[in-house]
Amino acid sequence: MSERINVEVSYALPHRQELIRVSLAAGATVSEAIAASGLLAKYPEIDPGGANKLGIYAKLTKPDAVLRDRDRVEIYRPLIADPKAVRKKRADEGKVMKKGGGGADEG
Amino acid sequence: MLTALLIMAGIAVVLGAALGYASIRFKVEGDPLVEKIDAILPQTQCGQCGYPGCKPYAQAVANGEADINQCPPGGEEGIRKLADLLGREFKPLSEEHGVEKPKSVAFIDEQTCIGCTLCIQACPVDAIVGAAKQMHTVVEPLCTGCELCVAPCPVDCITMEPVAETVETWKWKYPVVEIRKAS
Repeated sequence: MSERINVEVSYALPHRQELIRVSLAAGATVSEAIAASGLLAKYPEIDPGGANKLGIYAKLTKPDAVLRDRDRVEIYRPLIADPKAVRKKRADEGKVMKKGGGGADEG
Repeated sequence: MLTALLIMAGIAVVLGAALGYASIRFKVEGDPLVEKIDAILPQTQCGQCGYPGCKPYAQAVANGEADINQCPPGGEEGIRKLADLLGREFKPLSEEHGVEKPKSVAFIDEQTCIGCTLCIQACPVDAIVGAAKQMHTVVEPLCTGCELCVAPCPVDCITMEPVAETVETWKWKYPVVEIRKAS
């Protein structure tokens, strides 16, 4: 008997967010979860591994990463703004950056 | 004499066994009062009451450590329900803990988001989808409107948008009956 794991797959647009529950066999990967969610058919613009990076709970992962029970697979969209340009604009306007924007966008 | 002793001892054994069985059979997990208070609280996990979340506040109320009027998102309606449950007097919302606002959800301005993940770390309910250098988006059905993500944003791209009252979000108002003085 193979164990099942329940995961969520999310693809978020500004005013429409998809959060789809899928039940998979234990040991399933990120790309299998996305295939099972049916989001690729609903949103043809999704390009996994290309423009759209993938992750689990705010951490970027590879498409072949193995899922654990109750994970949330997230399909990301690229940024519109250039972080450097936004920071420069705020500096020019005399606004202070709080906390320096964290380590995540520095490296 | 011996018969009386035996009868008393027999009764003691029977009642003891009944009590022992009942304590196992009807065992209550956790404090039911805390659960009831927690069910009334809005589950925003915003921390405005001074406790790290709704459950710790519920525990504090049940223990008598916190007052019932420290929850701004719950508003007057929440205080009335807590007063009813605990058999206490209604009192207005404590001002030091904040003011009641219409239910809102966070919205991220995509033109300025730099993908720094600070709002994701602040969100108590995992309502923001995003990762480092990727677009962050608020998942509206999960957002509780706690505003904890607004302050950490280094580029001020998060705003709170009030939720329009729809068939799904409309709730019964607490009936307020004004008592007229008999002349």
